[in-house]
Amino acid sequence: MADSLYWLGRNVERAETIARILDVNYTRAVDLYSQRVGRSEALWRSVLRCAGFQSKPVVSANGKIASECFGFCAFDEANPTSIVSSIRVARTNALSIRAELTTEVWEVINVLYLYVSAQNLRSVLREGPSKFLRRVRDATQAFAGISDATLTHGDGWNFLQVGRFLERAYMTARIIEAVDVEHEPWHESQRLLEMCCASVPFAQSSHSAPEGRDAVAFVVLSQDFPRSLRFCTREVDASMHRISQSPEGTFSNDAERRLGRMRALFDFTAIDEMLALGVPSFAGRLAREYEALAGEVQSAYFPQLPVTA
Amino acid sequence: MLDLQPHVAALEHYDELYESGGRPRLHYEPLARTLGRIGREEILARVQAINTALLQRGVTFTVYADDAGTERVFPFDVVPRIITAHEWAHIERGIRQRVRAINAFLHDVYHGERILREKRIPRELVYSSKNYNREMIDVDVPRDVYIHVSGIDLVRDERGEFLVLEDNCRTPSGISYVLENRDVLKRGLPDFFWGYAVCPVDDYPARLLDVLRHVAPASAPRPNVVVLTPGIYNSAYFEHTLLARRMGVDLVEPRDLIVVENVVYLKTTHGLERVDVVYRRIDDEYLDPLYFKGESQLGVPGLMNAYRAGNVTIANAIGTGVGDDKAIYRFVPEMIRFYLSEEPLLANVPTLDCTDPAQLDHVLANLDTLVVKNTNASGGYGMLMGPYASAAEREHFRDLVSANPREYIAQSLVQISSSPTLVDGAMVSRRVDLRPFALFGRNIDVPPAALTRVALREGSLVVNSSQGGGSKDTWVLQS
Repeated sequence: MADSLYWLGRNVERAETIARILDVNYTRAVDLYSQRVGRSEALWRSVLRCAGFQSKPVVSANGKIASECFGFCAFDEANPTSIVSSIRVARTNALSIRAELTTEVWEVINVLYLYVSAQNLRSVLREGPSKFLRRVRDATQAFAGISDATLTHGDGWNFLQVGRFLERAYMTARIIEAVDVEHEPWHESQRLLEMCCASVPFAQSSHSAPEGRDAVAFVVLSQDFPRSLRFCTREVDASMHRISQSPEGTFSNDAERRLGRMRALFDFTAIDEMLALGVPSFAGRLAREYEALAGEVQSAYFPQLPVTA
Repeated sequence: MLDLQPHVAALEHYDELYESGGRPRLHYEPLARTLGRIGREEILARVQAINTALLQRGVTFTVYADDAGTERVFPFDVVPRIITAHEWAHIERGIRQRVRAINAFLHDVYHGERILREKRIPRELVYSSKNYNREMIDVDVPRDVYIHVSGIDLVRDERGEFLVLEDNCRTPSGISYVLENRDVLKRGLPDFFWGYAVCPVDDYPARLLDVLRHVAPASAPRPNVVVLTPGIYNSAYFEHTLLARRMGVDLVEPRDLIVVENVVYLKTTHGLERVDVVYRRIDDEYLDPLYFKGESQLGVPGLMNAYRAGNVTIANAIGTGVGDDKAIYRFVPEMIRFYLSEEPLLANVPTLDCTDPAQLDHVLANLDTLVVKNTNASGGYGMLMGPYASAAEREHFRDLVSANPREYIAQSLVQISSSPTLVDGAMVSRRVDLRPFALFGRNIDVPPAALTRVALREGSLVVNSSQGGGSKDTWVLQS
């Protein structure tokens, strides 16, 4: 049961993040990068990097980059991080613990699953992907609110939280790794902030346009912004300690030890020091940390393979 | 498929999309092809979805004449208005020149009045302007900038030349529609953009914030900016919220501010917080009840003193309305020659001066061919479209103008340009104008974010939203 909730949390979060990444980039590409093949290729390459793929986009014809990359990230069943794959895995996990979930939580996942299963790439692209992506985001956000409001906040809910915030931190790190704020400060910072849902929160906290590393500093270090690495790491840590019942500041497994180290990094390191080797290398290192953390969570509580089909 | 050729052959005015022979202009060709490819049903379904999105987002405005201020979606037409890089470069230069001249004029009328002493503009015309403000005499505004944000309304005449129809130097609105129109069109009809490289508009709030911070009092190293709104019932309230949110600054009403010892503060849950720049979307007379007496108790008591003491920047400055007074408008070309020693790049619409007896006689004798405007009205109110008006309306204006010539100007009717527009499921030809915005900080910036308004009523030449106008997404092409 614990592992199902953990994977449910991770996959719903992933679907939401991928939907937002696609929406931001597809919409930006419409005016900013249209007609500029080199630019739009770079843009979509970075989208694929966010989704976990290093390869160059495979493009059959000029102008097809956006639709092909969109199709791969949203509808490709063979791609485990695509929106449809994530939602399918989330639903399978929800199904296996259906008795433990409230009807509301089950239904929001099931309705989303039925919706995405009924869509196809061609019709979604024909009417513009915005509507589809919006629907996915609405449902995943409803899932977050409904699960908070209707599930007992016991161990199961804490595993859901661990999955949700670990995935969110991991995706935020990958998004930071994929943008190029050093060379194109304004556009890339803005893109980073939008992909992290952070452009207004950033503006409110800084009262100025993002310059260079400001946007990166915000999504890494903000205390209160619920998608910053610091915030997410703190949430994972808190949930892990509630599960193990070991006092905060101590550890009872490798995952908790790593979380303590990461929290110390965010709490006591200056941003310039963190970014001394460049933004991508810092973010890449953090992404590897979250991967290792996921492995440690798994070996601490559910060492078998997850349900994936 | 939508019939794209609405009676083009017989047009006596300029059409944005079609050449006189009925062929699409070069820069409209990709769009015309896309329109031909997407079916009629398909487009209408998307239009429906876009309108729903606008309603859900709350992109609305309030119509005052209606009962109890009804909220309406600002009608949006999906057929974009396209401006080539070459045309835009000309507009940009012309607007910069005009704004620089009007700003110099404002500085001059409040410091020494050189242009009045040299009799280039009649003194009484300036003094009788409702928005000329004696309190501003000898007040130095930060960096001598008066009109931080302006919107200059342009139209195209029969030959396709851009003319200035009027200047808006107080609190011009409309930029929120520019931002929202682009966003909903990109999401709802991304195919339209195929074949184009369009300048993005979404950095406008950042550019505005940059200007506001730049003009802060020198004593404020990290200036605190607020947007001052009259409140939720104002017709442009949606715009105020959007700009404040996108700039990340506080949106405040007058009651949220307090002046203590000539310093403006924002009341917060943690006590008073100093305010350095007020981007106000409130008219002069409602800013400070101590200065602008009237029946109104609205405003922030003491704001004017804080302003005169140099402790706060108000944008736009107080008293800029004398620069966009319609009776002063016809002197703007003169201002350009006087202050800049340049020839105007954008011409005015020929305008008659009703305070001159001979011209007044001409106006009164030709009310059936002229457009008469009240010098202090805006939004399409207080205006007579001579050729389209009834005899009773013309008589009414004859009385108004004779009784108070200073308050009226008359212009020849310009057959402004048209653009294909989707009305009730059919493609028809409708008239459009163009409002580019200028931001004046370090220099004068004209972002490629302009508002195209469209007169949705058949045959109408009035584009104002209060008079049945809508808007279009405006594409400035990248060079």
